[in-house]
Amino acid sequence: MSKTILNLKDLTIKFGGVTALNSVNLELKEGEILALIGPNGAGKTTVFNLITGVYKPTSGNVFLGDLAIDGKKRHHITKLGIARTFQNIRLFGDMTTLENVITGTDVRNKVGLIGSMFGTPRSRREEKASIAKAYEILKFIGIDEYADRLAKNLPYGVQRRLEIARALGTEPKILLLDEPAAGFNPQEKVDLAAIIKKIRDAGYTILLIEHDMSLIMGISDRVVVLDFGQKIADDLPSVVQNDPQVIAAYLGVPADAS
Amino acid sequence: MINLRDKGAEFWERSNRPVRVLTVFAIMAVVAALPYAGNTFLQTPVAAFDAVLVYPMGMFILMALGLNVVVGKSGMLDLGYVAFFAVGAYTMAILGTRTGLNTWEIMPIGIAAAMFAGVLLAIPTLRLRGDYLAIVTLGFGEIVRVSALNTEAIGGALGIAGVPFPPGLGFEYQLLDQKYFYWTILVMILLVIWVIRRLTVRRPGRAWESIRQDEDAAELMGVSTYKYKIWAFVFGAAIGGGAGVFYASRSMVIAPDNFTLNTSILILACVVFGGMGNIWGVIVGATILGYLPDRFRFLSDARLLLFGLVLVVFMNLRPEGILPRKKREKAIVKKGSGASL
Repeated sequence: MSKTILNLKDLTIKFGGVTALNSVNLELKEGEILALIGPNGAGKTTVFNLITGVYKPTSGNVFLGDLAIDGKKRHHITKLGIARTFQNIRLFGDMTTLENVITGTDVRNKVGLIGSMFGTPRSRREEKASIAKAYEILKFIGIDEYADRLAKNLPYGVQRRLEIARALGTEPKILLLDEPAAGFNPQEKVDLAAIIKKIRDAGYTILLIEHDMSLIMGISDRVVVLDFGQKIADDLPSVVQNDPQVIAAYLGVPADAS
Repeated sequence: MINLRDKGAEFWERSNRPVRVLTVFAIMAVVAALPYAGNTFLQTPVAAFDAVLVYPMGMFILMALGLNVVVGKSGMLDLGYVAFFAVGAYTMAILGTRTGLNTWEIMPIGIAAAMFAGVLLAIPTLRLRGDYLAIVTLGFGEIVRVSALNTEAIGGALGIAGVPFPPGLGFEYQLLDQKYFYWTILVMILLVIWVIRRLTVRRPGRAWESIRQDEDAAELMGVSTYKYKIWAFVFGAAIGGGAGVFYASRSMVIAPDNFTLNTSILILACVVFGGMGNIWGVIVGATILGYLPDRFRFLSDARLLLFGLVLVVFMNLRPEGILPRKKREKAIVKKGSGASL
């Protein structure tokens, strides 16, 4: 829990005249669960989009280890070891649960179109390994009983967990979870917290966007707070919780306070 | 409405290996015997039945299978597919009349030429999506036709005549009895089905499926979307080119008029009518749409009206095509046993 694995340096992005992120610095340490919180529109998902290459920063850099990854292609960044889930579920609905995860595992496969066409030994080997790996991941996340169901027909909670499973399929070093507990009831949140911890214990580093404070306080090692594109706090959960600036950002400042 | 696709798939899944093999052979035998069914109710009134089996039916099936990879599997609307058919046909016509090469020797050259045309079209246009891509491909189809029309060196509006028949392989290809052409195209169709099925259950098939369903999510899950979109285009082009080579060699005469936008639209109609993304649906669709206009030729001018009416009624009854893509809760891959092919 010491090495910095992902490093955002002076990250700024402007959309027209709006500065969505203003010179944000953020370090993710290997093996930790870091929660990214903030009011709506604070720029949390924008951070994810910058890390995964959906947006290019106006200025600043994203370092994975020593490698600057801003400006690289999105599928290349995935291959380098960063995977994400989506706030609004974006599964491949016409594929089965298992196929969704296998599609994730394909990023580690080397066989191309020609190899697949001729069914080379490598293609057979990789297909077999991918299927086995996808099953393992489904078991690990606890949704293997749904393996043969089409993703669009799955219950909501299973879809959310499948998003995580598909991301794990790409064998990431860093897992970015965008509001994984959105729409969950208290029991589902408890189950999810257990899964996230289990994933971390399996050796992944996790960056998490979440609104549910009890979930965050329960599992995160560190909390970063964004407000209007600025980092206003970066500390242990218990410290952040009592930070007056954070409370102000969430609840507003009473008119007579200043 | 009964789901024919699921019924068929259920039958397939319930059967054991001997039953499956027997079914395949029975279907193959019936299909292969079709040229001998010319004197039954299937007879087409004007054109000879065995000729209709080759073109439009066989050709349509072949092209619809190729276009299905682009439109049905990968979700890219291509309105200029006939361009690849034209490139293959012109390659055959030019080389066939001016060099000593025969049809089978020209086939790989024609396919390569069509693939090259596919790459040329794909590289600049595949950054576009949806409607924009459709418009650009439509333009490409017209560019190829108009270029052929205005190039005197390849016959201009008259096209190229005297394209040689394929050399026989222990039999002779004949104009008046086209069953050998029909059987040859059957072999080509089987080959294409075999290749597409292999690709579908493996990595390229998953990549195409994911691109169709959510291109951004696919890219973020590590699918090299640009590369696989080009592959889909080039693969579709190869099939169109191969069909073109064979078409030119059978028809003996080709002209720019054979490669109009109408053909592109008709092939697309076969794909949509039969069931986008499902090769069996596409085959059924192409069979029906290839056959009906010739069957009802006795209605003369009214036949296209009737044809249009059938399309409208059917698409209302079955908006997803006759045999829609898979809806069942069943994986195309089995537990730990590797792909099914």
